[in-house]
Amino acid sequence: MDYWRKSNKVFLSFGIPPTIWLFAFFLGPLFLVWGLSFGEKQGIIRVAITGTLENYLRALQPLYLQIFLKSFWYAGLTTFFCLVISFPVALAITFVSDRWKPILLLLIILPFWTNLLIRTYALIAVLRTNGYLNDLLELIWQSADSGLRILGLGDWNLLGERFHRFELLYNNFAVVYGLVYVHLPFMVLPLYAALDRMDRSYIEVSLDLGASQWRTFLSVIVPLALPGIISGVIITFIPALGTYLTPDLLGGTDSQMIANVIERQFKSANDWPFGAALSFLLMYLTFFALSVRALLTNHDEKGLA
Amino acid sequence: MKMNPKNHSQLSRRYFLRGLGAVAAGLTFSPGKGWSSEEKRLNFYNWDTYIGETTLDDFRTATGIEVSMDLFADNDELFSKLKEGNPGYDVIVPSNDFVERMIRANMLVKLDHSKIPNFNNLDKAFQDAAFDPKRAYSMPYMWGTVGIGYRKSKVSKVPDSWASLFASSEYSGRIALLNSPSETIPIAMKYLGHSINTADSEVVQTVEDLMIKQKKHIKVFAEDNGQDLLLSGEVDLTMEYNGDIIQVQEEDDDIAYIVPKEGTLLWEDCLCIPKGAPHSENAHAFMNYLLDGDAGALIADFIQYATPNAAAKAKLSDEYRNNPAIFPTDEVLGRSESSKYRGEAMQRLFDEAWTRISAA
Amino acid sequence: MSFRSNNPIGPLDYSRRTWMKLILLGTFVFLYAPIITLIAFSFNDSRRNIVWRGFTFKYYEKAWNNSSLVEAFANSLTIALFSTLISVVLGTMTAILLWRFRFPGKAGYEGLMSLPIVIPEICLGVAMMAFFSRIGWPSGLHWPLNLGAITIAHISFSFPFVTVVVRARLASFNRELEEAAKDLGAGEWQAFKDILIPHIRPGLIAAALLAFTLSLDDFVITFFTSGPDTITLPIKIYSMIRFSVTPEVNAASAVLIAITLIMTSFALWFQGRNGNQP
Repeated sequence: MDYWRKSNKVFLSFGIPPTIWLFAFFLGPLFLVWGLSFGEKQGIIRVAITGTLENYLRALQPLYLQIFLKSFWYAGLTTFFCLVISFPVALAITFVSDRWKPILLLLIILPFWTNLLIRTYALIAVLRTNGYLNDLLELIWQSADSGLRILGLGDWNLLGERFHRFELLYNNFAVVYGLVYVHLPFMVLPLYAALDRMDRSYIEVSLDLGASQWRTFLSVIVPLALPGIISGVIITFIPALGTYLTPDLLGGTDSQMIANVIERQFKSANDWPFGAALSFLLMYLTFFALSVRALLTNHDEKGLA
Repeated sequence: MKMNPKNHSQLSRRYFLRGLGAVAAGLTFSPGKGWSSEEKRLNFYNWDTYIGETTLDDFRTATGIEVSMDLFADNDELFSKLKEGNPGYDVIVPSNDFVERMIRANMLVKLDHSKIPNFNNLDKAFQDAAFDPKRAYSMPYMWGTVGIGYRKSKVSKVPDSWASLFASSEYSGRIALLNSPSETIPIAMKYLGHSINTADSEVVQTVEDLMIKQKKHIKVFAEDNGQDLLLSGEVDLTMEYNGDIIQVQEEDDDIAYIVPKEGTLLWEDCLCIPKGAPHSENAHAFMNYLLDGDAGALIADFIQYATPNAAAKAKLSDEYRNNPAIFPTDEVLGRSESSKYRGEAMQRLFDEAWTRISAA
Repeated sequence: MSFRSNNPIGPLDYSRRTWMKLILLGTFVFLYAPIITLIAFSFNDSRRNIVWRGFTFKYYEKAWNNSSLVEAFANSLTIALFSTLISVVLGTMTAILLWRFRFPGKAGYEGLMSLPIVIPEICLGVAMMAFFSRIGWPSGLHWPLNLGAITIAHISFSFPFVTVVVRARLASFNRELEEAAKDLGAGEWQAFKDILIPHIRPGLIAAALLAFTLSLDDFVITFFTSGPDTITLPIKIYSMIRFSVTPEVNAASAVLIAITLIMTSFALWFQGRNGNQP
């Protein structure tokens, strides 16, 4: 890593455009809302910025902390499942021929070019009680049952008297399923970016030295992919924390996430100061999690070096 | 004269028609004093599928004013969007309580009734409103009820009481309620025998307790898609707006709609002009056009909502006029109320109660 | 794991192993089951996407003739295109900056750069709306300038995602290569163009795909930054929720998928024919 003065022209030409953009078109707007979080509602529209901490104190009530905790848990579960599914997928993409690579990448991202709402409705059509997944399971059940009948075991009702359709929607399972569905490419793409054309000689050496495939995977491939894993976890976990449409449409009566509460503050409750305070609290908590992560990885890197 | 929307792409024809429209306007309307001085444009901010198929084209033909329609999904969105200033809309369509809220927040323009002669087409009952005395700021556009949509073959008897949703285990796991504190809580109040506009924190508390107790029997708090849940068989009873249920009835005869005997929440969507509207003359002309008997009849016939326009209603079929899901009986109406603006403190109370109900 | 297959599988042929194929297949079933459903419903002779009522093409015709849908579609694609281009440039610059240089306050700068990922959408949407209304952003401009505010907002929340993805790729870059090139007389720009960019190309592609997807699918922030006459596809679709989304939208989505697939196959065929595969 260079100290910036060593080639300050390069440093400035890379640094200035994004910095200007960030300040003008992101931090500027954000500052307005940050101010709101220290404000008090006066009447229907007006908010007076009084420097009050009341909004933050209200956001720290057990009611909201409990929802925060739950949201972190579900976002964490989502990230975990995304990682488990994405890793082999990304690995497979990096190992296919160059001809197939763009096709597979595109196939991964293509479902996400249809609108989220439409996709979620389609997901509902697949998962609902009278949906296609249940239809399929019933078909399998019926053939298994008639198979048993042919074997003369029909009277025993080994598979139950009739097929009971699963209630897959409107519960927390559906929320996590939906979140994984929505966030999968956020994990696959950075993993692919990190792994593509990795130096295969490491893997060959490891295998030649007699390490098992699994061992090689853990001690060679995963460390190579680590920057990708970290990036993937960040851009999966955080957006998952902020999603409200998926819990709204797939969740049951107890699937309220913190993003749903925040959304209501900016809409039906018309309480922007409180909404802003909740949003910033969520951001502070996320930063805290990220910095813990940064401390841990720095520690690891030192340990490795 | 009607114009087929399919001809949109044919520019020459479109311009020709627009010219023709301007001539026609000059002939049929006595030219309003100011409207010709404005550019012939209008920005209409509306709900989706909430206007006649050809209304905007007909209006352009009649007046030469080009209407561009943008869409919002609910009142909260509309309100949030205009709160920081009007980005350029001329006519908006908020519901009754939001009209009142926007009047209080000084967000609406006072209407010039002399430019809306078709006001006289309105049913007498709609020429005045509690939320907007003398209709100073709003014109009624469509109205309706919130009730129970249900699957006839799956209920033991007609669910003519809100108790089926709020206090019964008979339909456990087959019920959907609206995921909206400002509809569901007032209706629960109505069920408990209070007014929809009760401003009493203890009543809110009672509703909260009632709903937390009933929660295990409720399958989902639906995002205004209860009609889809009903149609797909996910639930058998749903709290919904009448118009939504009417639309799925066309698909499935087994679905019915009822306003429970306790009475219900009436809603009314209104046409208003937000402060800062760049084309307020055109906006008045447009409102006047929508209240025209023929134009209003075309709209109501297409979207199948109850029109407050007596002249339009008279032109429509018996089937429409006698549909109990569109026009509830006077008896039901007598027990129902429209919600008023509750004030910001009540709004907060509602929201906190809803957060607790959902978290319980 | 099957090592007993007749064709010997090399130790690195992960993609030819059965278990790997099964995982890929499973993932694609997971991803595409809803997509196939929604395409199927675009042929459904019913106004809503719930119950199958028979086959029809009429929603394709309707979608094509629905001028507001086509306009929304065109607007969305335009915004996504511009937003992706600028986000990739800005995001890559940031990634290189953070990867290559040490400078005072770097940790804080990194934190600021990741803020757009961290902030809840609706909060950013409201912030953007307040911002544009306060600086008096003009409305009623001509196409495509009327999409300016939306595009700016999309770039603001997309480019940090690009940064994160490109940085993951940069981690594997061997700086000695660049140094060697510079020793051989390559300028800063030439080394950047001929050595660094080719290396991070997979990252750029992945990031561009992500930025395009984020922009195309955004509703909340778009809603709050849109003015009159700037309808986008998500806004159109979300406003339909009150009455139910009609199969026209499915038809439009199916067309987008088909166009993408056709264009990609064509590009691949073209690439294969010219034989200039990387």
